[in-house]
Amino acid sequence: MGVRKKSVADNELFIVRTFNAPASVVFALWSSAEHMKRWMGPKSFACPEMAIDLRVGGRYRGMIKSADHGENWFSGVYREIVPDKRLVFTFTWENEGPSAGLEMVVTITFEERDGKTVQTFHQAPFRTIERRDSHVGGWSQAFDKQAAYAENIAREHGA
Amino acid sequence: MADLLSVTFSALADPTRRAILARLAQGEATVNELAEPFEISLPAVSRHLKVLEGAGLISRGREAQWRPCKLEPDRLKAVDDWLSVYRRFWEQSFDKMAAYLEELSEGESNGRPKKKRR
Repeated sequence: MGVRKKSVADNELFIVRTFNAPASVVFALWSSAEHMKRWMGPKSFACPEMAIDLRVGGRYRGMIKSADHGENWFSGVYREIVPDKRLVFTFTWENEGPSAGLEMVVTITFEERDGKTVQTFHQAPFRTIERRDSHVGGWSQAFDKQAAYAENIAREHGA
Repeated sequence: MADLLSVTFSALADPTRRAILARLAQGEATVNELAEPFEISLPAVSRHLKVLEGAGLISRGREAQWRPCKLEPDRLKAVDDWLSVYRRFWEQSFDKMAAYLEELSEGESNGRPKKKRR
């Protein structure tokens, strides 16, 4: 189990699992509502409702329920879909509760090795991701500048 | 509750603030001490501290001069609890996923059509 080492104030979740099935099958378990109903939710929960509009910008919505916790609706929007390889979507609980309305981003990657699939699951609050991505943007802009600068220098020296 | 959690996550979404919390996990510190390892100005550090304080992640002493900062572990514990609920949620889901995959491949190897739900 590749659980990332926890540090102080860690607010992201990583879970790595290897499944005894090809990546296309594991991907199908996430991308088909009929399949998803069969496994979504903790042990004591059933998932009787699931609807999926699998396209970038498309929504999914589902419900899990248990005797103790009643009906819990969740929904989100697909952001990236690379069949059998990668799936990114937002995830929000619609009910009241400690994390109701808090938008999270789930990123799952699938890697097939010898007929088995390593599934890497990552979940983080939306703001964390937004923030991190803006840092990435900042850095790549800096690298672009650096590249342009290097080219200028090369040109000056070449001339 | 949801709002406070959002505020907390937003406060945690910054690497400098996480470094400040890591430092405070070792004990109280003044603004000057906290600013030392960073290449940012004292006012910038103060702004970070204000965000952390607003999120309930730290508290600051009353003495006007020093106002030492202290980690408030309760908010971090709330984040931790929140994470462990999700960890359980997904790990148990993935257990079911593995069992379902097993069921699917058995169906295939027996030459039966894949089990349909109900």
